[in-house]
Amino acid sequence: MAFDAFELGMNLLGLGISAFIGRFAYAGYSAIASPNLLRLTFAFISVAAGFVLLAVAEFVEPVESSRAVATAGLGVQAIGYFFIAFSHSVKSFDFAPPKYFALLPFTIAPFIIPGNSIEHLVRSISFILLVYVSIETMASYMQNRRTSTLMIGSGLGMLALAEIMAWYSFVYPGAFFYVAIAIKIVGFGLLFVPFSKFGLASGLGGRFSKVGGI
Amino acid sequence: MGGLAKLAGYRTHVSIIADILSTAKQYSYEGYDEGASVTHLIRKANVPHQRLSGMVSLLKQSGLLYEDSAKYRISDKGIQFLNAYAEFKGFAEGFGLKV
Repeated sequence: MAFDAFELGMNLLGLGISAFIGRFAYAGYSAIASPNLLRLTFAFISVAAGFVLLAVAEFVEPVESSRAVATAGLGVQAIGYFFIAFSHSVKSFDFAPPKYFALLPFTIAPFIIPGNSIEHLVRSISFILLVYVSIETMASYMQNRRTSTLMIGSGLGMLALAEIMAWYSFVYPGAFFYVAIAIKIVGFGLLFVPFSKFGLASGLGGRFSKVGGI
Repeated sequence: MGGLAKLAGYRTHVSIIADILSTAKQYSYEGYDEGASVTHLIRKANVPHQRLSGMVSLLKQSGLLYEDSAKYRISDKGIQFLNAYAEFKGFAEGFGLKV
């Protein structure tokens, strides 16, 4: 039960951090109408909603239903990671990739995904998206050399590491599950540190809420 | 990461608006009390005339910019927009993104 309390506490901490970042991104979108800030809003609200589902799963009975709710939570978080990855992909492509590229993940999926579990699939997708986003953020750091970019890139890398460790403990039960949860929260903590510089100083963006969009 | 070479170059719609407002601010308060002309906006904000016309109309409708004798001046709301832009630009750049 102590470990369940630990998992619940970590999920609630993650919920708080992601909700704060999402709220600040929304304040930015409402002030200057930037599409990337809207995508970040969707991303962190999805991640926060995922943490809510993961916390609710702690109290659901029986175990099968609890796992279904937890998997739904992971799926909602994967959608959040997709929005961050999408923001980077809009920036990155200076060519139009052929449309059949979209089918590539489905053709190779049977060879790399164990296949009998939706949770495997969701964690695999989250891992791939987080690795991509982390690499893109680190590439931006190589250009702008901002400490905040380095911390956020590291945080996203930690989230990717947490996903693969959680996946490993799913294959070999009990191996690194709680370590994975702790790493995930450390990752969100790294996202929060530079955000606190922007977000808390402006009252979560409330100072700008009356500017209005364009 | 194929677009890395282009990243330094391209500007978003919001950043172009910020450039226009910065130019108008410069010509409104820093010794150029009469405001910025269209030529000033084109030259300093580096935007073609046709595109600038549409954006200036949008900014006037939004109350960020106002026109006085064919010169453009930034409003208080426009200054608030520029402050918010500076704040959220840093936030987005933390994620490796542009606003």
